[in-house]
Amino acid sequence: MEPATASHKPAAPTAPAVATVLLVDDEPVSRLSMAARLKRMGLRVLEAKDGKEGLAILRRERPDLTILDWVMPEMDGPTVCEQVRQDPDILSSQIILMTSHDQPEQIAEGLARGADDFLSKAASKQEVLARVQSGLRAASLVRSIESTRDELRAKQEELESELKSAGAYIQSLLPVAGDVGPGIHMAWTYRPSLALGGDLFNVSHWDDHSIYFYMLDASGHGVSPALRAASFATFLRAENLRHCITDNDPAAMLREANRRYPLTEDGSYFTVWIGSYDRTTHQVRYATAGHGGALIQRKDGSIEWLTSVQLPLGFEMNTPYDTTTIQIEDGDRMVLMSDGIYEAPAVTGELWGTTRLTATLTAHRATPIAAALPTLMAEAERWHGSPVFPDDAALLGLEFRI
Amino acid sequence: MQIKERPIPNAVVLDLTGDLTYAHRDSFKNAVEALRQKGCRHVILNMTDVRFVDSSGLGLLALISQNFKLNQGKVSMLRPQSYVREILGLANIPKLIPVFDNEQDAVNGKAQAA
Repeated sequence: MEPATASHKPAAPTAPAVATVLLVDDEPVSRLSMAARLKRMGLRVLEAKDGKEGLAILRRERPDLTILDWVMPEMDGPTVCEQVRQDPDILSSQIILMTSHDQPEQIAEGLARGADDFLSKAASKQEVLARVQSGLRAASLVRSIESTRDELRAKQEELESELKSAGAYIQSLLPVAGDVGPGIHMAWTYRPSLALGGDLFNVSHWDDHSIYFYMLDASGHGVSPALRAASFATFLRAENLRHCITDNDPAAMLREANRRYPLTEDGSYFTVWIGSYDRTTHQVRYATAGHGGALIQRKDGSIEWLTSVQLPLGFEMNTPYDTTTIQIEDGDRMVLMSDGIYEAPAVTGELWGTTRLTATLTAHRATPIAAALPTLMAEAERWHGSPVFPDDAALLGLEFRI
Repeated sequence: MQIKERPIPNAVVLDLTGDLTYAHRDSFKNAVEALRQKGCRHVILNMTDVRFVDSSGLGLLALISQNFKLNQGKVSMLRPQSYVREILGLANIPKLIPVFDNEQDAVNGKAQAA
């Protein structure tokens, strides 16, 4: 990360010590006399002889305060106010409308058309001073709110761009779909709930005749789970695992991970499902740590969930994770998924659920897996009624040819 | 979520109301940690009025159970609703935090009901 001083935009220029007032009045005498009064208050005074010129100076100079005569030829004071309020660049300007006929109805009309305050041409020196000071106070508050807003916007943009680049990094950890080995076809679809996901999955080669694959879910929401998931995915890389365990037994991977990833001090942890497939024995061995999302769909269409009740990682030292073995037949399909998909809620709060999920899978058994997974995601989305799920939704599919 | 502290002989019951989720993690964690700091050895979480526990909630339950164990203390749970009981069961939480159907059994730590 860049040092804070280098990565921040320079702060908005601070207001000059001397406040600037724009005076718009078509009568030279009254303009000169008011200008003199204002100058005696220590203010910088800009003068305009009509509404049009006033607007031009307002746009160019951004004075702290504008004092505007009501009655002017062509464009009168209230009309200038209306134009100011419609121009996003100057709409927050502070305007005092000046008039010699200050009837209550007139005051109301002037305020309604965009003036901030009123000043009678007959006002005393003290009143002019008080109204100008009050206008400048309001102007300075508005300026400080605007500069805070601009800073926040800039910071927000910076954060969003950092999130995007972190999100791109997480995506780069995901596998390339296609054939991952002779007779093993892989596809996936992933929809992180934010720019960054705490769910990750992958397929890796252990040796020349076996692969292993996993789906992991880092608890919590936001940047921290995504970072922890990326760290865990790095731990699960074959070149690292080979230093820690002797064979690709998923339970051994989990036992090792359980030692290395204790609960964080705010109670964050991982759930994970890991399987390995040996092309010589045609067996899948799998183990889970609190992760319920994997199933096998046989060629005949029957579906079997591959789960076991076991503690998530880090809940207890020495949790005895066990491996279960199943035999794979030609044409069998496995789907690993994050809970975000079957827990996608409808507007009513009702979850999509595993029953609807398996029904969709059954209906699309003949569809190639690369098309079946997006269909599954689309069905969950239809149920949820929005493309953004409350939790990450990931699907990883493997199809075996023997 | 609402948390009410209710001391009973040999334990403190926390009557919980609402959802034990990510949004409420701080108030829950702080309430339990405060008890531990005061030297409480047995906290009983009354789950009767807890409607939902999410993955963050499960993590907190595991965490407080670990922290109490470090002080030779323990955590028990009372009467989770059926849906909550199912969520806890899937994550094997009752292995860490025993579940009871009444306060007296929880205090005695016997006749595990779940």
